[in-house]
Amino acid sequence: MIELHLLILAIVVSFGFVFSYLAMKEHDLLKALALSSVQSTFFALGFYILAAPDIVLAYLAIAVGAYTALVILAISKTERYEVGE
Amino acid sequence: MKRDVVVAVSFLLAFLFIAYAVASKNVLGLGGTDLRPLGEFYLSHAFAHEGLTSHSPEVVTAIVWNYRGFDTLFETFVFFLAIMGALSVLRLDEEQLKQARELEATMPHRQMDLIVRATTKLVVVMIVSISASIALHGHLTPGGGFQGGSAMAVAALLLFVAFSKFTLERKGLTLGHTISAYALGLALILATVLAPVFLYGGRVLQINLLPGETGLFNLDVGEYTAVTFGFLTIFLILGIPEWIFKVVLRRELK
Repeated sequence: MIELHLLILAIVVSFGFVFSYLAMKEHDLLKALALSSVQSTFFALGFYILAAPDIVLAYLAIAVGAYTALVILAISKTERYEVGE
Repeated sequence: MKRDVVVAVSFLLAFLFIAYAVASKNVLGLGGTDLRPLGEFYLSHAFAHEGLTSHSPEVVTAIVWNYRGFDTLFETFVFFLAIMGALSVLRLDEEQLKQARELEATMPHRQMDLIVRATTKLVVVMIVSISASIALHGHLTPGGGFQGGSAMAVAALLLFVAFSKFTLERKGLTLGHTISAYALGLALILATVLAPVFLYGGRVLQINLLPGETGLFNLDVGEYTAVTFGFLTIFLILGIPEWIFKVVLRRELK
């Protein structure tokens, strides 16, 4: 009834979900960025299982490379630790 | 803390339930293996070499640049507008750029480890060749101009981190050069889009009139250049440290 690739998809995307939760709860912005890259990698695997290789190629380069660099540049212009609460 | 965990777990459960309902029970009617008429049209026409063809076995690229070509064309314009917007917010004129360069020269010189630099050199060569193969084979295999261009921008970023921005600027990767290369890529895209009108009397973006796969190949190469150098332009201007910006802008006030 449940096919193997759908099961792998569910596991991979759940891992991505967990990592996005961890990234949101992290107060060190650089660590949050690393966690969000891990989440993007899991989602890229999910896209691959969904047979969308075009998206995988763009998504990995943007989410792990360009997005991370842009956010690091933004963090370098402000503070590294989130404060408050 | 406890409330967060409850929220996260309930989101996860709802998400799994929806995924299960869509994938196994087919509640939205998205499943099934039969082709819809539109999909059949794309599959039968993309590589047909007659009629509304794209001369391309890669149907995704054919859709992105031919059947839905205007979407991608305007997406390129939106990317252009975003980059021009960022440039006009963060602009520095000739004199100010010179001041910024002088201030950068006074910063303490730091260097990455030999291991990091040597590894980066090897990895960058690999990324550049893979990005070229993604972009130049865009009409044959998965990938295309945007994918290849963003991979290429990542390679440049690695150089940026391992060797510093100043080294790259000394080697000729200055703001003026990247903007010129970006304009060149956009010009290639525009030329390919308008070529059917002037050469064959067709319509804008009717690239199936061009001989063979020239249309898709040119558009991929143009997008590759445009995306690579568009990203690089932004990284070069954002890479100027904040205090230099402040010093230069304060001088402007005086």
